[in-house]
Amino acid sequence: MAQIEIRDLGIDYRKPKSNEVFSAVDSVDLSIEKGEFVTIVGSSGCGKSTLLMAMAGLVNLSRGSIRIDGKEVTGPGRDRAVVFQEASLLPWRSVRGNVKFGLEMQRWSGGDLNERAMQMIRLVGLGRFSDYHPHQLSGGMRQRVNIARALAVDPDVLLMDEPFGALDAQTREIMGTELLRIWERHKKTALFVTHDIDEAIFLADKIVVMGRNPGHIKEVINVDLPRPRDEAVLDSEPFHDLRKRLRAHLAEDMSSMQLVKEVA
Amino acid sequence: MRSAEMTAEPAVRQISFSFLRPSRPTLVGALAVLAFLVLWQVAPSMGWVNGRFTSRPTEVFFAAIDIFRNDNFLYHAQISLTEFVAGFALAVVVSIPLGVLLGTSKIARYLIDPPLMALYIAPTLVLLPIMVIWLGIDMAPKIAVVFLGAVFPIVLNTMAGMSEADPRFLRMARSFGATKFDIFTRVLVPGSLPALLTGIRLAVGRAVLGVVVGELFVSQAGIGYQLNLYGSAMRIDRLLVYALVVSAFGYTLTILVRSVENKVRDWRSK
Repeated sequence: MAQIEIRDLGIDYRKPKSNEVFSAVDSVDLSIEKGEFVTIVGSSGCGKSTLLMAMAGLVNLSRGSIRIDGKEVTGPGRDRAVVFQEASLLPWRSVRGNVKFGLEMQRWSGGDLNERAMQMIRLVGLGRFSDYHPHQLSGGMRQRVNIARALAVDPDVLLMDEPFGALDAQTREIMGTELLRIWERHKKTALFVTHDIDEAIFLADKIVVMGRNPGHIKEVINVDLPRPRDEAVLDSEPFHDLRKRLRAHLAEDMSSMQLVKEVA
Repeated sequence: MRSAEMTAEPAVRQISFSFLRPSRPTLVGALAVLAFLVLWQVAPSMGWVNGRFTSRPTEVFFAAIDIFRNDNFLYHAQISLTEFVAGFALAVVVSIPLGVLLGTSKIARYLIDPPLMALYIAPTLVLLPIMVIWLGIDMAPKIAVVFLGAVFPIVLNTMAGMSEADPRFLRMARSFGATKFDIFTRVLVPGSLPALLTGIRLAVGRAVLGVVVGELFVSQAGIGYQLNLYGSAMRIDRLLVYALVVSAFGYTLTILVRSVENKVRDWRSK
C-alpha cells in the first residue's frame, strides 16, 4: 500500500454571506509512495492548496478519506509538517526562535532543542543569520526559515503550499535547486503545490495536474528526468515535452473559464 | 542577503555624538521655548499684560524652590501618587484578565463589548459626584476615578491585540500540533503585548487627569487640592508650579511606557 492514500475526497465550503455551498475539491483519488516528490499544479482556484491543507489536517473533509501510513487523517499530526505560502514567521522571534517553534510544540527542550534548530538553520544556509528577525530578511531567506522550521520536526511527509510563489523568478530558481539538494539528503515524501509549470516539472517525480469547477485531478504524469537535477535539465528534450503537455492542460482550463465568463 | 546586512548596521552607528549636533526640529523647538520664556518675562513690565494674572518665569522658578522646601510638597505629592498608583494598579489587575477573556471568547465579546464601548467613550469623570457620594472625600473616590479612567483603554487594547491575531500565525501553530494553551502563550500573548502597552500608555493620561480633577472637585490634600488653593488665592506662580509637576509626571511616565512599547514593537517596524 502506498504511504498516502486519498480516496474519493470531497471538500465543500459554505460561502459566508449567501450560505451557498460550493465544492472546492471533488472525487479526488490519489496514491503517493514513500519518498516521492509530488508536485500539484493547476491554475488558481483549482483546489490545489485546499487539497494540501486537507492532508495537513487543517481543513475538514466533506467526503472520502485521507490515510497516511494506514492512519486516517483527522487533524494536524507529527508525521506531517507544512511550509506555508507566506512564511508565517512570528515577527517577534528570531530566525532561531522561529525554527524552534515546531520543536517546542513537540516538547523538545534545552540543549537538544537549540542544537537541532541550529543544525536546520545551517542546512538551509542561514547560519550567520540565526539571530536576525524576519523583517530583516529577504523573501527568499524567509522561505528558507519556513523550510527549516518544517524540516526540524523531522516529518515523514513535507507539505509545501506554493512556498516560492511570492519570490522573483531568479530567486525562485535558486530556491528550487536548494530544495532539491536538501530533499536528496533525506528523501522525505514531499508534496509541493505550485502554479509554475517549470517548477512543477523540475522538482517532481510525479506531477498531479488539477482542473477546476470543482477541483479535480485531470492527470497524473510521471517525470523520469534523472536525479540529481540542476538548471541544465530545463533545456532538455523531455523537459520541453512535459512543459508542452502541461501548458495544453492549463490553457484548456483557462479557455473553459473564459467560456463561463462569457455565458455569465 | 545584502538587505539584511544593511538593516543591521546603522543601529550601531547612530549613537555616536549625535547629541552634539542637535537635529533641526530640536533646535527650532528649543528656540521657540526660549523665545516664549523671554516674552513671558518681559510682557508684564512692558505693560502688555497684567502680571498679576500671568506671573513670570522667574517668579515661577522661585515659587518652585519655595514649594519644594516649605510647602509640604512631599506630603501632597505622596497623597496624589498613592491615589494614582492604587487606582492604576487596580485597573491593570482587572483589565488585563478581562481583556484576555474578551479577546479570546467571542461570546464574552458579544456580551460585554457594547456597554464597554459606551463606558470607554463617556468621560468617566462624570461619575465623580457619585463616587464622592458613595465613597466620601478621602482618597477612595479618586482611586475609583483613576481606576475607571485607566481600566477601559487597557481592556479594549488587550482585547483588540488578542482578537486581531494574524490568522496565518494561528494556522501555522495548529499545523505543528499546538494546543490552545500553546497558541495562547506563544502566539496570542507575545503578539498582543504591543497593543497592551499602547493601552497602558493611553491609560496613564486618563489616570493623571482622574487624580487631579478628583482632587480639584473635592479633597483635603493632594496636588489637586493645592492647585485649587493657590487658584482661589490668585497665586499664579505657585499654581503653575503644581501644574508643571503634574504634566512632568504624566509626560515622563508616557515616555517611559512608549520606550518599552517601541522596544517590544521593534520587530514590527519597517
